[in-house]
Amino acid sequence: MSTHHIIESLKREIENFSTQIKVEKVGKVLEVFDGIAKVSGLSDIKSSEMVAFQNGETGVALNLEEDTVGVIIFGDFSKIKEGDEVKATGRILEIPVSDDILGRVVNAIGIPIDGKGTIKSAKTHPIEKVAPGVITRQSVSESVATGIKVIDTIIPIGRGQRELIIGDRQTGKTAIAVDTILNQKGQDMICVYVSIGQKDSKLRKIEARLEEGGAMDYTVIVSAGASEAASLAYVAPYTGVAIAEYFMEQGKDVLIIYDDLSKHAVAYREISLLLRRPPGREAYPGDVFYLHSRLLERACRRSKEYGGGSITALPIVETQAGDVTAYIPTNVISITDGQIFLETDLFYKGIRPAVNVGLSVSRVGSSAQIKAMKKVAGTLKLDLAQFRELEAFAQFGSDLDDATKRQLERGKRAVEVLKQLQYAPVKTEHQVVTLYALTKGFMDDVPIEKIKEFENGLVDYSERNAKVFFKEIKEAKMWSDKGEEELKKVITDFKTSFSN
Amino acid sequence: MATLSNNNIAQAIYLASKTEGRSEQFFSNVVRFLFRRRLLSKAPDILLRLDKIINDKEGRVVAKVSSRSNLNEKMKEELVHALAKRYAAKEIVLDEHLDEKLLGGFKVEVGDEVIDLTIKNRIGKLQEYLTSRV
Repeated sequence: MSTHHIIESLKREIENFSTQIKVEKVGKVLEVFDGIAKVSGLSDIKSSEMVAFQNGETGVALNLEEDTVGVIIFGDFSKIKEGDEVKATGRILEIPVSDDILGRVVNAIGIPIDGKGTIKSAKTHPIEKVAPGVITRQSVSESVATGIKVIDTIIPIGRGQRELIIGDRQTGKTAIAVDTILNQKGQDMICVYVSIGQKDSKLRKIEARLEEGGAMDYTVIVSAGASEAASLAYVAPYTGVAIAEYFMEQGKDVLIIYDDLSKHAVAYREISLLLRRPPGREAYPGDVFYLHSRLLERACRRSKEYGGGSITALPIVETQAGDVTAYIPTNVISITDGQIFLETDLFYKGIRPAVNVGLSVSRVGSSAQIKAMKKVAGTLKLDLAQFRELEAFAQFGSDLDDATKRQLERGKRAVEVLKQLQYAPVKTEHQVVTLYALTKGFMDDVPIEKIKEFENGLVDYSERNAKVFFKEIKEAKMWSDKGEEELKKVITDFKTSFSN
Repeated sequence: MATLSNNNIAQAIYLASKTEGRSEQFFSNVVRFLFRRRLLSKAPDILLRLDKIINDKEGRVVAKVSSRSNLNEKMKEELVHALAKRYAAKEIVLDEHLDEKLLGGFKVEVGDEVIDLTIKNRIGKLQEYLTSRV
C-alpha cells in the first residue's frame, strides 16, 4: 500500500467525521484514595451512572451528596490526580453482550481477559435491573441434573431455583459447582461462572478443567480476581446475571454460579466504609441484605407467554468453623430456596461430596424431580436420618435387635452409594438403577467395601440388559410394571454373577 | 440540634442582608457571629457559597472562557448574548483565561457545564473516531 493511498483513505475518513457541539457535565476530582474518588460538580448525575476520568478509566457514581459525588473507580486509580476532569456519560452502568461471549473469560465490566481478542457486540445490557415480576414467572417444574447423586436424589434443584452451597473452606463447594457445569453438556443449558475474589491460579485451574470437559462451549466465566479493586468484585455478580439475562431473553435456560458471595459482601463492605456509609452488624452496611436479595431475585423461570427461559442460581457462601449463624450466611439462607450444607467432619471421614443430608434442604426442587427418581429417593432421606440417629445410639450397646441391625446396614450402604468422585457425574437413569437396587434391598448382602464395585458393575450390566427399563425412564420418566420386572431380573442375575 | 452547613449559613447571611441592608454595621455583625460560633475558619467557603447564592438570585452568570488568544469584542458580545439566552440570565460576567494548550477555539465553563469548542477537544474526538472503527 502506498503512502498516497493511506493519506487518501484517511482524508475520506476525516471527511465523514463530524462533531456535535454538546454541553457536557464536568466535575473535578477533589480527593482519590483506595479506589474511591470524591468529585465536585456533576450536578445532574444519576445514581450508578458511569463517569469517565481524564486518563480513560471509568467509574460509577454511588454516593450523591449535596455538592460532591462519591465515585468507585474500576481499574487503576493511581494515575488519577486531584483536579482531574471527570465527565458524566449519561449512561447507567452497562456491559456489552452478544452470543460470541460463550466460551470466553471476561472481567467484571465485560472486557475479555483471556487473550482471545475482542468480543464483537452490538448490544449492551444494564447490570442493574429490576427482577421479573410475579406475572411473568412460572413455578419451577423442570430439573437441573447436577450429576451428583446426593444432590439429584435428596436435594434436587429445579430450573429457576436458587440453591445455596454453603460450607467451610476446603469442603468441596466449588467442586460441586464445577461438576454441575460439566454435567450440563447436551442438556440445553448455558452456564455463567462468576468468580469473586478468587485466586487467579484457582480460576485458571477451573477454566482448564472446563475446557478439558468440553464445557467451555456453553460457559462464560466472569472474573474479579483477588488482586483487582473491590469495585470490580462488587459489580461482578451483577455483570454475570446481566449476561445470564441476555441468554434468558432468547428463551434459554441458564445456570449461574456466584463463587462466592461472602467475598462479594466483604468487597461491598470495603466500598461502603470508604464512602463513609454507617456500618452495622459485623461492620457491613445496612443494605447488605438488599445487595444479595436483588441479585438473587433475578433468578427466575419465565412463563411461556413472556418468552420462557430460566436462570438457576447457585450462590456459594463460605462459613467460618461451620458457623451458619453469622450475618451473611443467615441472610443468604433466608433469600435462597434451600441450601446444600457441606461439612469438614464428613469430608475427612471420606464422605465426599461432604453433604450434610440432615441440614440440607431444597424447598422447591422436589416438584422438578422426575417421577422415577421421586419414587426411589422418597424413602432415602428418611432412611439416612434414622441411620444417623441409630449410629450414635449403636456406639454404646452391642445387643441390637434384627430390625435395628438391618436399618444400620442399609444406612451404611446408602452412605456408601452416595459417595462420588470429583469430575465423575452420574446420569439420571444410572442413579435411578443404583437407588432402586439400594432401596429395594438388593444391596443388603453385598459387603460394604464392595458396594462401589457392585454399583459400577450393575450400571454397566443393566444398561446392556435392561433395555425396556432404560427406554421407559428416558421417555416416560417412569417405569411400568414390565420395566420393573425386567430390572429386578437383571439385578438378580447380576448379583449371582457378582458373588461368584 | 442539626449541624449547620456552610450553605445554610451563606443562605442566612444573604436573607439577612436583604432585610437589614448591606451596611458596615451589618457586616461587622456577620463577622462577630462567625467569630462567636467559631466559624471563621470556614469563612472562605461560606463566602464562596454566598457569592454563588447572590449570583443565582440576581440572575448573574459567571462564565469562565478559556482560549488560546484574546477574543475580540464582537465575539465576546455574541457569546454574552448566546449565554444570556441559554441561562435566562440578566447579566453575564466573562472570566477570561488564556491557555496555549488549547491550540485554537475556545471553551466556556458555567458551573459544572462545559461547552468545549477548542481544537484540542476536536482532535481528541477525531482520534476516538478513527481508532474506534476497527
